Amino acid sequence: MALEEFRADAMRCTRCTYCRWIPFDLIKSDRFAKGCPSMEAGKFHAYSAGGRLVTALSLMDGRSTVTEKTKDSVFKCTLCGQCDVSCKMCRYDMEPLAAMRELRFDLVENGHTLPQLEPVLESLRTEFNMLGKPADERGDWAKTLKVKDLTKEKAEVVFHAGCRYSFDGDLGPVARLSVKILQEAGVDVGIFGEAEHCCGGRAYGMGYRGDLDNSARHNLRAWKAAGVKTVVTPCSDCFHTFKRLYTAEAGSDIEVIHMVQFVDRLVKEGKLKFTKEVPMTVTYHDPCHLGRQGEDYVPWSGTEKKIFGQAVAYDPPKPRYTGAFGVYEPPRDVLKAIPGLKLVEMERNREAAWCCGAGGGAREAYPEFSAATANERIEEAATTGADAIVSACPWCEQNFGDAVEAGAGALKVFDVMALVGMALGIEEEA
Amino acid sequence: MESSRDISRDAYRAIEDIVGADNITDDPAILDSYAFQWLAELVRPERSHYMPRPWAVVMPLTTEEVVAVTKVCNKYHVKVKPISTGWYHWAAPLKDDEPTVQFDLRRMNRILEIDEKNMYAVVESGVICAQLQAEVMKRGLNINIIGAGCSTSIVASASAYFGGGPSSYFLGSNSDNLLGQEWVTPAGEIVRTGSLSSGCGWFCGEGPGPSARAITRGTLGTRGGLGVFTKCAVKLGPWEGPPVLQPTGKPPAYRLPIPDNFRVYTVGTPSFEALAEIYYEIYDNAIGYIFHRQFNLAGADLAAALWLTYLDPNGTMNDVEARSKDPEVQKISEEARVSFQIILQGRSKEDIELQDRILDEIIRRTGCYKVERFCEADFAEFTNMYLQRMGHKHCNFVWVGGYMGSWMQAGTPDFVKGYVKTAIDGFERDQKSGLLVQCGGDAMMGCGSTLGGGGFFALEQFVSYDPNDNASVDACIKHMEDAITDCKANGIPLGKEYLYLQIGWTDERIWDDLSKMPQQFVLNFQRKIKEAFDPNGLGDRNYPWLPEGWGQQKTIAAGSAAVAGVGKP
Ligand SMILES: Cc1cc2nc3c(=O)[nH]c(=O)nc-3n(C[C@H](O)[C@H](O)[C@H](O)COP(=O)(O)OP(=O)(O)OC[C@H]3O[C@@H](n4cnc5c(N)ncnc54)[C@H](O)[C@@H]3O)c2cc1C
Ligand code: SF4
Ligand code: SF4
Repeated sequence: MALEEFRADAMRCTRCTYCRWIPFDLIKSDRFAKGCPSMEAGKFHAYSAGGRLVTALSLMDGRSTVTEKTKDSVFKCTLCGQCDVSCKMCRYDMEPLAAMRELRFDLVENGHTLPQLEPVLESLRTEFNMLGKPADERGDWAKTLKVKDLTKEKAEVVFHAGCRYSFDGDLGPVARLSVKILQEAGVDVGIFGEAEHCCGGRAYGMGYRGDLDNSARHNLRAWKAAGVKTVVTPCSDCFHTFKRLYTAEAGSDIEVIHMVQFVDRLVKEGKLKFTKEVPMTVTYHDPCHLGRQGEDYVPWSGTEKKIFGQAVAYDPPKPRYTGAFGVYEPPRDVLKAIPGLKLVEMERNREAAWCCGAGGGAREAYPEFSAATANERIEEAATTGADAIVSACPWCEQNFGDAVEAGAGALKVFDVMALVGMALGIEEEA
Repeated sequence: MESSRDISRDAYRAIEDIVGADNITDDPAILDSYAFQWLAELVRPERSHYMPRPWAVVMPLTTEEVVAVTKVCNKYHVKVKPISTGWYHWAAPLKDDEPTVQFDLRRMNRILEIDEKNMYAVVESGVICAQLQAEVMKRGLNINIIGAGCSTSIVASASAYFGGGPSSYFLGSNSDNLLGQEWVTPAGEIVRTGSLSSGCGWFCGEGPGPSARAITRGTLGTRGGLGVFTKCAVKLGPWEGPPVLQPTGKPPAYRLPIPDNFRVYTVGTPSFEALAEIYYEIYDNAIGYIFHRQFNLAGADLAAALWLTYLDPNGTMNDVEARSKDPEVQKISEEARVSFQIILQGRSKEDIELQDRILDEIIRRTGCYKVERFCEADFAEFTNMYLQRMGHKHCNFVWVGGYMGSWMQAGTPDFVKGYVKTAIDGFERDQKSGLLVQCGGDAMMGCGSTLGGGGFFALEQFVSYDPNDNASVDACIKHMEDAITDCKANGIPLGKEYLYLQIGWTDERIWDDLSKMPQQFVLNFQRKIKEAFDPNGLGDRNYPWLPEGWGQQKTIAAGSAAVAGVGKP
């Protein structure tokens, strides 16, 4: 796609500002009505999805050129997709999120990059992870596990830990627990260990489409060689990348399952029983990439056609991604199945969830913006009376953890799988 | 007057000192996000989607900052133009050659007070209807949300522009509901109106003395042409529903469960005569909380196909096309052709049952009927959600992103039914080109009232065109011109399309037209007001006036000195 292909979206944007808010029907208070972290940071209309469509149009038409301020307005956004949900409440002919991504690609391809992102991209290109860690430490988390090594063996299922679970010592137990659960369920599972590469999704969000292509090529080739049919991951960023971006950009048809979906299935089939009480009140934070951006992806290629004279339809019909069918219930059902645990909801939940602030390169490029976005969520979580905020994505957890550490509140931060471990009583041994 | 380069250097710095560097910008791409406006392509040269670019956008946080920036603007002769959420093209500057500071008021976003006992709320300009509604409902109160929907600023509709909506029938129009207000005049002075001017709080919009509200408001408001309204109080009405709306279902058509003390119906009528008749009956019997002709905005031919598709979270426009050919759906279209939505709110079981019985009797007597499919639970709950929160108004643009509202002449139901045929015939004729969305000649939507208490309403023709297709844009412009010709030919006062087209005209053309209008003394009086409150001409012609020497010279004897004192603290 080229930016020009989004011209119609820009021309048809009505500047309605719906993209700044959660869907209006879901607003329950003045305090938690807003939906767009970028607007909260940048304030001017250009920091909303609608504003970026105008920026794209203005640049395409030569009405303006890229300045530092323009770059700031384009990149200071977590690509959380809330705007996309709200816009599509009433529109069938708009793709604001895709357009904003394309605007980033365009800027990057024309050399308008952010220096802050260079170290991470360098790490991706040389060490195949987004954390600046040596590639040969990537498999350390699994050293105590007995699991197939897919560089040498074959398996139906690959467990893809992702950058954070691989390198963050605190998250290692969650990754190990996940593998054990898969094994105990009789799944033919393996890992790539130190040969695992980053999914590339975060680089894509930062505007580097080529880096996603490289990661996708590597991972898909490795999976194919190992006979893999399904990838299971506890990381929502990886989940989204494999499920949607690899399908869209690299033609992948591999099955993609998030670990919470797998656990949910086992619990519902009675194959996994929680035996230990976890006496805690928790609130669940929907990761953007598992929730509203986690819908099944159906490849489409076609053209716009006019019906009723001027209304816009597509030939063939184009699937719509509105956030309606994200992965919302599996993590909640898993939590509800844990004895002693009480789940309470934040005002902005499911397709209306406020972002954690870690996505779209925000954490790396704009730490203050990223932290403010996380703080906002922690404040919202605190109003529920919960003891802890729980998520199913290590990037959310890290941003929340950092926010709490910096004084945003007294909440604990957990991964759903960590609570699963407690409920199974195998937390320590994992 | 300084050159614009001088303005840029000195005025920018002076304003930056007031609001801080983060709250002012003159970055061209960011300015374009303000210049880009809905409907611009209908009135701007070469069908440009941009209104004139502001010279700078400024985001004040306080009234004091608005005052200080306005004073700088007076010093450097830079115009001022406020924008709240910016869903109306005339919130942008109107002329290319006039440096204008655009005040973006979204940082002034506090709900300052909700006075439950006296039933009013005080808000700043950045507060949108949805935010205030969510808070007042917790106290058993409600606000009127304008037909543009809950995304819009309360202050904008209460203080600066029209103000009618589906609930105005019961809750009043926001122009009626306006109580005390705080106004920063283009001269940079703070004017407080009504009880506020006497230090007595916000509870009353009038007095002492002549009506300051009449100066700041009128029917259509100043539309940003006469300074900035920073705060205002609006009257609240009773809400007997849940304290927090708890919708169910998936997007886009969330459903709002209907409590036992509410009823939600779509009522079909055999003709527009019958529509007027049933309106009078409902109004005479004083029942109903929300009264609106909503779903026909999609065009009577296609409304059923569109909204039934909208209920399906997987639905696409292709499905609308398929549904429109389904004989069952076509039957519903016919049933709902001349229909409206009504929501009853009861204060008790007895009350709601009585209202329900009265409505049934009125329906029976007028030969109307309930549109069965639209009264089924899924559709009724969606209707309830739509009309209580008004969060789906972007559906005005659902077909292709371009919508222009024509007609909309307000009056009694008998007056409105008088222009319906002309509006339908003209629209049907203009759709034949295929350059407008062909949804049937009746795409007329309208609030049950544009005045509190009802009895007075209007129907607006929803003309959908593709803003990405110049031929379609041209067809819309032609339709606007045709509507004006149709009005003139049939002795009907001009509608909204006329107001829109004026935006593209020169001052002289507007004044020439205004000179031929009745009641020119109003425009001469407004000139006096402008001279008093805007001595340096910082406001634009959105606040209309006639210059001396134009039109009839008979003015009412209100000198600028008399006007200038009104409402000042
Ligand atoms: C699809 C659609 C449907 C509409 N239907 C209705 C309707 O049914 N009823 C109705 O009343 N209106 C309707 N409108 C008009 C419009 O929504 C109103 O003008 C509304 O008040 C806009 O709110 P806003 O916050 O977007 O205002 P803006 O677009 O920001 O401003 C609207 C006007 O008010 C001025 N203004 C805004 N804030 C201030 C302020 N603080 N001080 C001084 N001037 C100010 C602006 O300069 C501009 O001229 C409709 C508009 C659209 C686009
Ligand atoms: S992107 Fe969509 S929601 Fe945002 S202003 Fe444009 S049309 Fe409205
Ligand atoms: S993706 Fe998120 S942060 Fe970016 S514009 Fe949309 S809502 Fe705002």
